[in-house]
Amino acid sequence: MSGADDPGIIDEIVDKLTVAVQQRFGKNASIENISIATLGASNRTLLFDLLEGPTRRRLVLRQETVKSEFSPFISTADQYRILKVVYSHDLPIPEPIFELEARDDLDNGFVVACVEGETLPKTLLSDPTLATARKRFAAQSGEILARLHAIDPAEVAFLEATSDSIDPLAAQVARYEGYGNCFPGLEVGIRWLENNRPAISQRKFIHGEYRNGNVILGPDGIRAVLDWECAHIGSAMEEFGWLCMRSWRYGEIDKPVGGFGPRLELYRAYEANGGELVDEDAVRWWEIFATFRWAVINMMQIDGHMSGVRRSLPFACCGRNIAMVEYDMLMAIQGKYK
Amino acid sequence: MSQDNPDINQILTTVKEFAEGVAKRSSGAERYDALCAAFLMGVVQRELKLGERQDDGQLEQLQSMLGKQGDLAELYQAFSSSVREGHYDNDWQAAFDFAFKQVVDKVKVTNPNHLEVEHRDS
Repeated sequence: MSGADDPGIIDEIVDKLTVAVQQRFGKNASIENISIATLGASNRTLLFDLLEGPTRRRLVLRQETVKSEFSPFISTADQYRILKVVYSHDLPIPEPIFELEARDDLDNGFVVACVEGETLPKTLLSDPTLATARKRFAAQSGEILARLHAIDPAEVAFLEATSDSIDPLAAQVARYEGYGNCFPGLEVGIRWLENNRPAISQRKFIHGEYRNGNVILGPDGIRAVLDWECAHIGSAMEEFGWLCMRSWRYGEIDKPVGGFGPRLELYRAYEANGGELVDEDAVRWWEIFATFRWAVINMMQIDGHMSGVRRSLPFACCGRNIAMVEYDMLMAIQGKYK
Repeated sequence: MSQDNPDINQILTTVKEFAEGVAKRSSGAERYDALCAAFLMGVVQRELKLGERQDDGQLEQLQSMLGKQGDLAELYQAFSSSVREGHYDNDWQAAFDFAFKQVVDKVKVTNPNHLEVEHRDS
């Protein structure tokens, strides 16, 4: 099944989660209406209603399940610290509710508020009720990212120690080498990236995974930015490279910003909201870097499948998908893909 | 041929059609799994048809480029080390062209529709 858990495991989680909420919200608190997100998840996401007397709130449990020497994700503890910082700056993210502790016996993770809306990329790009949200996406993204990058990196200084903050290219190369495979296409790409590194003018607190697929949209526009597990300190241009990478356009190739709109709307909104001047040559480098990074993430998935840790049909496909990402990378290096 | 019908290709087509049928009448995770299964059957069919010829072509090219013998895995490693150490920095196009050809070969097996038209029959 597509990453689905044994029902016995879910029952156990529900029992422990009930105890966890009772310890925090009183012994009359309870949970119901539980559902598990199974599509595209690297970690476990469980939605539930928290009942406290007459009030009912929909919450989301995020549990760490990917444990790997080469994991690209920061710890759930650090993710929770980031959420609190970002939420304190009024950026659109789910409200952090509580962090799991050892006494909960639920491994590592945290609980946030559920934000209503849609996340599936193909739905975001086709649902008629989201037409206005689609038109606004590029400019709204520019505004949100400008506000994020305005947060003093000192507020998340603990991120400076991550390998992605120190040298993102070296970090990805280390992960790639860790899987022990040999990809001539990626090697040529790595060498090109190494030989053409752009200067980084300013170091910012960046989301690191901002893209179509990690935002919740409603008819009015972007309601929440999700998945902060790749946050680090780096170049703002890296953020744009990832967002505009070809794979994240979901077939709308001529709309680089997540399949929604043109680059200039993103860049102008970013600059108008206090962001630094966008260096388009640097964004091109970071977009090519993004394809390398995406190839390495696919390697992580196929490694999980082959090792038996997490077997699934989609993860099996990831192994063969790497070739398509390599193709995109080399076409971009040749200047044929923009 | 010692085996009876259906042959390998027909078996794969049969299973692929079954998976596509499941995808049409299901939703969510089950539909996605079925689409993945159909995709993988197609990959196997194309690899059986193209794989050996591709391997032979790349082996010949690498032996010529690197001036050494070895199996494909060894020569991929030798090529990769040479690229990584900068030995092809002054002969960039040769390295790029081989790597690109190798990638196009793989995508012809994985999903030929992903290739630009000019690369599908290259």
